[in-house]
Amino acid sequence: MDRVTGLIAANYETKALGSLTSERTIASLPYGGRYRMIDFPLSNMVNSGIQTVGLVTPYKYRSVMDHIGAGKEWGLDRKNGGLFILPGSVFGVASSQSRFLLRDLKRNEVFLRRSQADYVLVTSSDAVYNMDYRPLVDKHIETGADITMLYREAVEDAPNDLSLILSGEQVTGFNRGGLKGEPLFRNCFVMRRDLLINILEWYAAVDYLDIFEALEDDLGKMDIRGYRFDGYIRSIATVRDYFQHSMELLRNEVREELFSRENPIMTKVQDSVPTKYLAGAVVKNALIPAGCVIQGTVENSILFRGVQVKPGAVVRNSILMQSCVVEPGAVVENAIIDRGNTIAAGTVLKGSPDNVFILNKHLI
Amino acid sequence: MKKMKEKECIAMLLAGGQGSRLGALTKTIAKPAVSFGGKYRIIDFSLSNCANSNIDTVGVLTQYRPYLLNTYIGTGSAWGLDSSTGGVAILPPYATESGGRWYEGTADAIFRNLDYIRLYRPKYVLILSGDHLYRMDYRKMLKRHIEKEADLTISVMKVPMEEASRFGIMTAQEDGRIVKFSEKPKEPDSDLASMGIYIFSTDVLEAALVQDSTDPTSEHDFGKNIIPKLLAEGKNLFTYEFSGFWKDVGTIPAFHETSMDLLEPEPPFDLADEEFPIFSNENISPPQYIGPDAAVENSFIGNGSQIFGKVVHSVISVDSFVGKGAVVTDSVLLPGAIVRENAIVTRAILGENTEVKAGGIFGNAEGEIVVTGDDSVVE
Repeated sequence: MDRVTGLIAANYETKALGSLTSERTIASLPYGGRYRMIDFPLSNMVNSGIQTVGLVTPYKYRSVMDHIGAGKEWGLDRKNGGLFILPGSVFGVASSQSRFLLRDLKRNEVFLRRSQADYVLVTSSDAVYNMDYRPLVDKHIETGADITMLYREAVEDAPNDLSLILSGEQVTGFNRGGLKGEPLFRNCFVMRRDLLINILEWYAAVDYLDIFEALEDDLGKMDIRGYRFDGYIRSIATVRDYFQHSMELLRNEVREELFSRENPIMTKVQDSVPTKYLAGAVVKNALIPAGCVIQGTVENSILFRGVQVKPGAVVRNSILMQSCVVEPGAVVENAIIDRGNTIAAGTVLKGSPDNVFILNKHLI
Repeated sequence: MKKMKEKECIAMLLAGGQGSRLGALTKTIAKPAVSFGGKYRIIDFSLSNCANSNIDTVGVLTQYRPYLLNTYIGTGSAWGLDSSTGGVAILPPYATESGGRWYEGTADAIFRNLDYIRLYRPKYVLILSGDHLYRMDYRKMLKRHIEKEADLTISVMKVPMEEASRFGIMTAQEDGRIVKFSEKPKEPDSDLASMGIYIFSTDVLEAALVQDSTDPTSEHDFGKNIIPKLLAEGKNLFTYEFSGFWKDVGTIPAFHETSMDLLEPEPPFDLADEEFPIFSNENISPPQYIGPDAAVENSFIGNGSQIFGKVVHSVISVDSFVGKGAVVTDSVLLPGAIVRENAIVTRAILGENTEVKAGGIFGNAEGEIVVTGDDSVVE
């Protein structure tokens, strides 16, 4: 895989995630108890043997940079290759399906030109999956396609994503939004590096478009193919996606695949102490990272580092992000409690499975 | 040899001991590498103390079963010790033109690495052992060493008089000047026990070690040889009295008891103190999962563990597994330990990656703590 350079568009912003992404981009959205969304594509690349990764940073880059640092946890603090921090656009995207703006790529043309790699693998950071990209790249090389796009059938309607119109392996068109069961583009594609540089020149006049929007009218001139991933993959575009797909992590088979021992999803290490369960703790079906203290009830829930559930407090069907404290007797149900909130004693916060209660990040 | 940037104080960490009283736990690894507290290894405490004391140059002397320790320490980056002007150096015994041999005592180990110390030309050398649990800001001890213009400062703590005969005991004047040192005295006249933490002024250390190396009757041990010799020569030896938590978990009962103490609501040694964090070179494991029929109480559980059974008053280290219907009580599972369905583990220490088969029974509610070595299988 030294023939492949990775490029992650970590600058995609969306309004569909509401307050969850008002202070952060989707790349730094906490997921699965101790991860951030960016961990999935970044770890996949590293686990696939890619040693050079360009990271297109969002305008609000603080939280992403705080998380990634020099790429040490991913083994990307290398002398040869490693992590390259690249600038992205200041302005928002043209449509909610746009992930890969030509001007973002154009702005980083130097990175592409200096690369020694034959191929570029480009991903966004809004999908949760654990994938070895090598078969995708091998297939791309074998077929000699111009572009190979990763897809997987949608598990439910996905209005914010692109779906592929396929004729066999050939991509003949795109639909904005995908219906359940349709081949949904998973925002990951591979192509020759020199072709990408050429595309940036050919389409320089429409650089405000997403690369696939720009190519849409010229699909007949290019050989664009789909590659089907048959593993667990979930695109996170809405609050509903976020909540439902997070909860799927409580299923053993999902965890086993996503958090594979051979190809671990890597993340920033925080030196937290193991989680302490005191007398009175009642915990069932919960995903809990190190650094929590549990004295109350936690059921069907996902906690993040440093969460404290005090005696008599009840947390059900909820996601509690970093450093939240649920005081004695408080009840949290069907809720997403963003980072740093303290739920006062006796408070009851309840949403419903279809209308999850969200408490915004507590800014310190 | 090119000299490195001059350092005020560097640390030499003795990590070569087997710790044979830990039995099966140190069969394949050295004592400082033994896992403790759910995710740590014993050496984390001294390395974290160095990091928190701003000592960025640490020589780690290894000898017994060093591989795990070597890979675990790596570049020292997990403790923030991968400094460009110092950092962590692993110092195993090595050969010279006159041949090679094992380290023959704590003083011999340091003597044979004097060249390493000279690289940094430190004014002071802090000598530590890698097998104790404690938090200490060595800067405070160094400050006292400098104030007293001492040649050697020995960290001590008060122990109950009836236990004093188990320790190296310092008899000191009011101002801390040491007048007598007795190794495990039958009739102790002081309750100040040496913690095996020394700060030497480098010239005094060097002279003493060079002289000791030529003495054929010496056991080349700091406690037995170097300290008595410096006292006899009338050097300035002072105590530094430490009053926090300090523990040698060098025996199975001590290891088990100290592990159980972590589970108290207000533990005597709080690993979670964020003012003085304990760092470790942890694996990136997913969060722990507690299953729908699990029950967990009064326990410590590390990342990567999956609990489907009952865990009562136990330390479950990273990447462990407790199957459905299994019951783990008053026990310590070291990293990667597996307790299969319906097995019962009571007052036991399971070595790393040990597997207790389905329905297996290990340990008893009374009597001695039972232990398995790493990678064992219990039927």
